[in-house]
Amino acid sequence: MRLVSKWLRIVGLGCLLMGAPSGYAADGSPENGEEIYLKRCVGCHGVDGDGLGPGAERLLPPPRDFTSGMFKIMSTAFDGYIPQDQDIFKMIKLGMPGTAMPGWQDILSEQEMWDLVAYIKVFPGYDEEEPGAAVEYVEQVPSSEDSIAKGKELFLEDDRCSECHGEDGKGNAIKRLLGDNGERTWPRNLTKPWTFRHSNNPKDIFTRISVGIPGTQMPSFADPASKKVLTPEERWHVANYVQSLAKTSEAVNPENTVIKAARVDQAIPDDPYDEIWTDALPSTFFMVPQIIAENRHFTPSNDTITVRSIYTPTEIGILLEWDDRTFSQPGDEDSEKIGDSPLYEDKVAVQLPVTIPTGMEKPYFVMGDRDNAVNLWRWRGGTTSEPEAVSQISATGVGTGVELDAEGLMGRGVYKSGTWRVLFKRSLITESEDELQFREGVFIPIAFFAWDGSNGESGTKHILSTWYWLVLESSSSSVPFLGSLLALILVLGLEFLWVRSSSLQEENH
Amino acid sequence: MQKIPKLLQVVLIVVGVYFGFVLLFDFILGQVIPSSLLNMYMFFIVAGVLAVYTATEDGTRELVAPIKSLVEDPSKKKTRNIVFAVTPVAVALFVYLQLVPSLEAPLELRSIHPAPPSTVKIYGKRFDLRTLVNPYRKLEEEDPEEFRAMVEAGASIYIQNCHFCHGDKLDGQGPYAAGLNPVPLNFQDVGTIAQLQESFLFWRIATGGPGLPDEAAPWISSMPVWQEFLTEEEIWQVILYLYDYTGRRPRSWEE
Repeated sequence: MRLVSKWLRIVGLGCLLMGAPSGYAADGSPENGEEIYLKRCVGCHGVDGDGLGPGAERLLPPPRDFTSGMFKIMSTAFDGYIPQDQDIFKMIKLGMPGTAMPGWQDILSEQEMWDLVAYIKVFPGYDEEEPGAAVEYVEQVPSSEDSIAKGKELFLEDDRCSECHGEDGKGNAIKRLLGDNGERTWPRNLTKPWTFRHSNNPKDIFTRISVGIPGTQMPSFADPASKKVLTPEERWHVANYVQSLAKTSEAVNPENTVIKAARVDQAIPDDPYDEIWTDALPSTFFMVPQIIAENRHFTPSNDTITVRSIYTPTEIGILLEWDDRTFSQPGDEDSEKIGDSPLYEDKVAVQLPVTIPTGMEKPYFVMGDRDNAVNLWRWRGGTTSEPEAVSQISATGVGTGVELDAEGLMGRGVYKSGTWRVLFKRSLITESEDELQFREGVFIPIAFFAWDGSNGESGTKHILSTWYWLVLESSSSSVPFLGSLLALILVLGLEFLWVRSSSLQEENH
Repeated sequence: MQKIPKLLQVVLIVVGVYFGFVLLFDFILGQVIPSSLLNMYMFFIVAGVLAVYTATEDGTRELVAPIKSLVEDPSKKKTRNIVFAVTPVAVALFVYLQLVPSLEAPLELRSIHPAPPSTVKIYGKRFDLRTLVNPYRKLEEEDPEEFRAMVEAGASIYIQNCHFCHGDKLDGQGPYAAGLNPVPLNFQDVGTIAQLQESFLFWRIATGGPGLPDEAAPWISSMPVWQEFLTEEEIWQVILYLYDYTGRRPRSWEE
């Protein structure tokens, strides 16, 4: 008897040792998991795991309904539907970028996260079933120019991926896509890797291509029944291509808060795609939905804007560029089909103070305040019956906007392959006291607003940025050169005098 | 120390302190030290070090001896010529860099926890922040069940309104935090709600960014004016939740 119990203990210990490093829900305790779940997860996922917590209403994508048994991001091959334990673990640990789901590794221990995995599996009854076989990675094809080129070809072939992700991968939809709960889903903008639910590491991309995203229209490209099926090698090429699409030059650099406008000699052309802009330095900023003033917006479709600026001795040009999956033109049949109803125009605005602040005080960053007015240059894309137009608005707070004469302001927009480019032009100096007068070399606060008309954005429902800076780089001045020349002569002179006086002293000795 | 010439000692101390500041701020504290602040610190360091080294006449002589000999000692002529050629160029370069217009964003210093006013008008009523207490705090002892319900109500309000910026984990890292400047407050941090009274939180939540005094730069704060969206009761409930979730205690008058 004693021998048996000793033997059992050894086996038990062995199992524990073998189980621990690999990590399975079997190591987690659903009871502990429930306790953590009730404290940390119910706000969104609900007490019953149905994704109907109090926070759910204002979230898109909505929180996962665990009882549905459908998991979007998993590595179980396309013919299975139960995720690997590791998949659930990874979602908890790292979170889901681009959604409200944070990564929990900083406040939960590995064990606690495994406890959660064990508990979450109870909702769909997966605690009593085995997951299907995982995706086979066969042999990873390292990224190379050749592989990327092959991947691009496969991406575009018969509109395999470009059908939803667009020719340039910006997710510019030609279809209205819905998720399993009838919610609006958007094809991933593949040029923005920070919005990928998992990383843009080729292995993660390979997994998505192979499995698809259950509950959405993203299919599996490993399914032999699909007309668009790809071999593992081909999937690696596509994964390498998708990774190469990341627009690193236009990613947000949090250190950069200043738009530097260079001075040019020629007049600024009206075309937003003119070559003159290739040399202008792009600055990209995050945009957030307006949730400060009444009629708040919780479901934005875009998160960044890229700004460039140049100026001449008489005028300034500000070029705004942002990705928008939908061209929203009320009255246009295609626009109406894809966009949410009612369909509005796409719009964008630059916000400037009326007077350049001398101290720290600026106008309130959302439409100014009573003591500090702002100027808004607003462009709208037009409808089938009205052309694009600009307006100039003066405001001293939300809802106080007054239209000014916009005669001196030019705005022109071009929509191309999932991207808007809008160019504003105005003379540096105007005669109106309600307009900002530009000066070289000073820091001018600047902020941005944008509306996606297909996403129900109109009025106070829009995205906006906080204040950044615009500086018109001073034309080359001779002061630094002359100043340093003077310093050079001065120091040389002092040295000369010093040497001379010391040698005179020597002679006197 | 004996073997190192005094002049070199001075140079080593100044350079060492300079990089010490950079190391402390930029790497250990993770907060880049503003150049204006660093310049000010270095001015006092240099002045202090020179004062110490020139306190006695011997000290002064020893300090300037290498410089003097450089000019007066004929055997060091070659070194002197090099030093005398490099110095003006270095000075000219420094002057040039100082005069070229800087495109570094202006430094904005703001007070994160400004002093609250003694009284404030919220919901059309006047509140005395010095005596104001959370009316539901006492339930914690009197009626724990009712208290739990209040905390849970606060949790719902939080997830519907606050997590977008302050984060699901109350760590100031909500999905929109990266687009805001100043960044949303991190309630998990010991330096935030644990240092404050509940009345301070009530004032900050109810009047939001625009309710801040000027030293706290109300024009850039993204904090909404919550009295426009939440009831008085809801604000007190969400305050209960902030302390409950983070496990912190509000500061009170007794302490």
